[in-house]
Amino acid sequence: MEAQVTFEAKVSKRRLGLNERLRVDFEMNENGDNFNPPSFSNFQVVSGPQQAVSRSWVNGVQSFSKTYTYFLTPKIKGKVTIGQAIVTIGGEIYKTTPVEIEVTNSVKKPNDPNNVDNIVDGNIHLVAEVSKSAPYLNEGITVIYKLYFRNPISVSDVSEIESPSYGDFWSHLIKIGRAEINMRGSYKGEPYNEVIWRKAVLYPQKTGKLVLEPLTLNLSLSIPSNRRDLFGRRIMTQTQKTITTGEKVIAVKDLPQNNKPENFSGAVGQFDFDVILNKDLLKASESFQAKIKVKGKGNLKLFNLPTINVPNTLEVYEPEHDEKVKITISGMQGTIEDNYTIVPQFQGKYPIPPIQFSYFDPKSKSYKILKSQNLIVDVFEGPTAVSTNRNSKSIAPKTSIPMADNAFRYIKLETKFESIDKKSLWRSKFFWTLVIFPFFILSVSFLLKRIFYGRNEDVTKQKQRRAEQLTKKYLSSAKKYFDDQAQFYEVLERALHNYLKAKLKIETTELSKSKIKNLLHLKNVDEKTASEYVEVIESCERARYSPESLVNIKDDFKNASNLIGKIDRQI
Amino acid sequence: MRKREKFNMAKKLVFLFIYPVLGMSFGQTTSEFLFNEGNKAYNAGNYENAISLYEQTLEMGKHSADIYYNLGNANYRLNKVAESVYYFEKAMLMRPNDKDIITNSAFANNMTIDAIEKIPVSQIDQIRNSIIETFSFEIWTYFTIILLWIFTILFLAYLFFIRARLKRIFFFSSLSILLLFILSFSITYSIDQNEKNKKFAILFSKQTDIWSEPNQQAERLFVLHEGTKMQLLDSLEEWQKIRIANGSEGWIKDASFKKIN
Repeated sequence: MEAQVTFEAKVSKRRLGLNERLRVDFEMNENGDNFNPPSFSNFQVVSGPQQAVSRSWVNGVQSFSKTYTYFLTPKIKGKVTIGQAIVTIGGEIYKTTPVEIEVTNSVKKPNDPNNVDNIVDGNIHLVAEVSKSAPYLNEGITVIYKLYFRNPISVSDVSEIESPSYGDFWSHLIKIGRAEINMRGSYKGEPYNEVIWRKAVLYPQKTGKLVLEPLTLNLSLSIPSNRRDLFGRRIMTQTQKTITTGEKVIAVKDLPQNNKPENFSGAVGQFDFDVILNKDLLKASESFQAKIKVKGKGNLKLFNLPTINVPNTLEVYEPEHDEKVKITISGMQGTIEDNYTIVPQFQGKYPIPPIQFSYFDPKSKSYKILKSQNLIVDVFEGPTAVSTNRNSKSIAPKTSIPMADNAFRYIKLETKFESIDKKSLWRSKFFWTLVIFPFFILSVSFLLKRIFYGRNEDVTKQKQRRAEQLTKKYLSSAKKYFDDQAQFYEVLERALHNYLKAKLKIETTELSKSKIKNLLHLKNVDEKTASEYVEVIESCERARYSPESLVNIKDDFKNASNLIGKIDRQI
Repeated sequence: MRKREKFNMAKKLVFLFIYPVLGMSFGQTTSEFLFNEGNKAYNAGNYENAISLYEQTLEMGKHSADIYYNLGNANYRLNKVAESVYYFEKAMLMRPNDKDIITNSAFANNMTIDAIEKIPVSQIDQIRNSIIETFSFEIWTYFTIILLWIFTILFLAYLFFIRARLKRIFFFSSLSILLLFILSFSITYSIDQNEKNKKFAILFSKQTDIWSEPNQQAERLFVLHEGTKMQLLDSLEEWQKIRIANGSEGWIKDASFKKIN
């Protein structure tokens, strides 16, 4: 007897929590082919399809059933529909009716305690342990992911479905070789097996609430079932379990703004700071190395070292950076260094000013400033920097004149002191007196000269002028007689006599030649001029009395006027 | 009573007259003594002591280029950059052409951090400076006065000599001395003006920011380190405008500096 063909979908429940599982059976009473399950788009298929076929004869009646079974967990809340499954039986296509399921919030105690899921949920936990939930910016924190499980569960395989990327953190994963099971771990006070799955060191790079993405693992578990085998041992059932840590929020605090050192470069931790020179006594053009070194615990790779600041005549090359940092579970640890190569150009002493390094110590919640000690480099040989411009009123430039023997000079051993507040002579009263007084003297003496010399002059000058005039008159009258020899010499002689009378202030009529000589001598007229004068007079006489003698009128006239001029100057 | 008062007055008067005279001679000897003691301390390598001895001399109101030079040396030995530069500058001001001072000043300037390129001086300025720097200001002043007096004497001679040849000689020599006097006077005047207009100082703060304007909202231009020579320009409250050798100008706040002149 042929029964009617049935193909239907059966669900274990119509209403379930988000964290519960749903079993869906697609059952048919005739053997079919081409089974095509619905898409289960809002579910995750935990296991399945499992095929089961049963055949039985009861009272001669044969019954057959074939079942495909799926275990599903819902992904979303709300009304969810499981679509149609399709199968071909005896050449005809059969479809199941869609089933509507209502997914509610997670249920606290899902299902019954003997259920596999319940056993799993109660006995296995994945935890992310964060060392500090409110660290400072750049303060290192560690995250340890631990898997706890206990009897009767045993884990056979683990695979990572979702791993966090630590977006706003500087992160470093610490390698763990093989996962080892610590049998003596404890979770919430109860004994558990503990496996450390992963360790990460994080340095937050942003302030505010940062989300630590979850780690999700898929576990293959062996769970003892209620069934026993032939020997009475429990049969282990294999099951899959997805377990997640969930999101963690880390509230990153900003570093305090007050008392923040000016040159703070973001170092957070506990550090030692040192500046080391490999030599401090050298020749110019040799080089030395300055090492800036920070040692300690903290975000060593995440800040810049302070730069060196040296006198300008030192040539400094780009530093070599060297890091020896180990990252352990407690954070970064080690040293970072900047190695500067420095070449001095001139001899002299070069103080290297203290370099400051500041960091924030999250333990004491305060900024610490470390200062290197004052270092001095002594360059003992080489050219000297001497400023060429000695202008003390302008700023001395730095130009170099290489001078081999130009060393630092010794102090002066002798001095002459002056008063510091000595008034400058310039523009002082005394200065002005010294300036004005000469002009005063000059003007006074000018006036004096005018008054006294001027009056003296009057008497003598008048006579002299008269004599000159007379001479001029006589000589000019003599000039008229250039043609008449006798007349000329007479006038000339008279003129010469008259001149002498006026000049020497004598009132006589008679002037012998020797007397003239004597008189002229007395008046400091030199001998030659005097005798020449007399000669002229004599020649005049001669010409007068012997008119036939050869004479040169023009020469004699010239001679006479010359002599008058000469005597005039000498008297 | 009256008499006694008078006597006291007289006593006071006597002291008033005697004391400065005594004090002066006393001051001179002790400052010399302190100077020598300072030199001894320096030689023994006791530079702090030497500095304090020298400074005592300065406190007594006495100074000299030598003592500033020695102070510069002692501070150099102790690696005090700003102090050493400052004292060498002071010494150079009093004696611009001393080789020792120039050399050691260069050593001190070596220690300063900032490399400041000086603006090149024009040829005319160079010649002018070299003339001005032949003597110190004080000697220029004396020189001016002496030239004036020589001129006066020569001119008087011109006035009162009668012989024409001598007169001529005196006249022209007095004229040339007068020209020299005018030159010297103008040089002295220009030095004085320069000194009045240009106040220089040495920066003593280890490090100072230079701002574009005298307020904190302004832009920060650059940073100067101790030992830098700066020209002081304007000042506004606690702000001071400065210019450095490369011509850059800016404002500093609360920086410690010491004036050179």
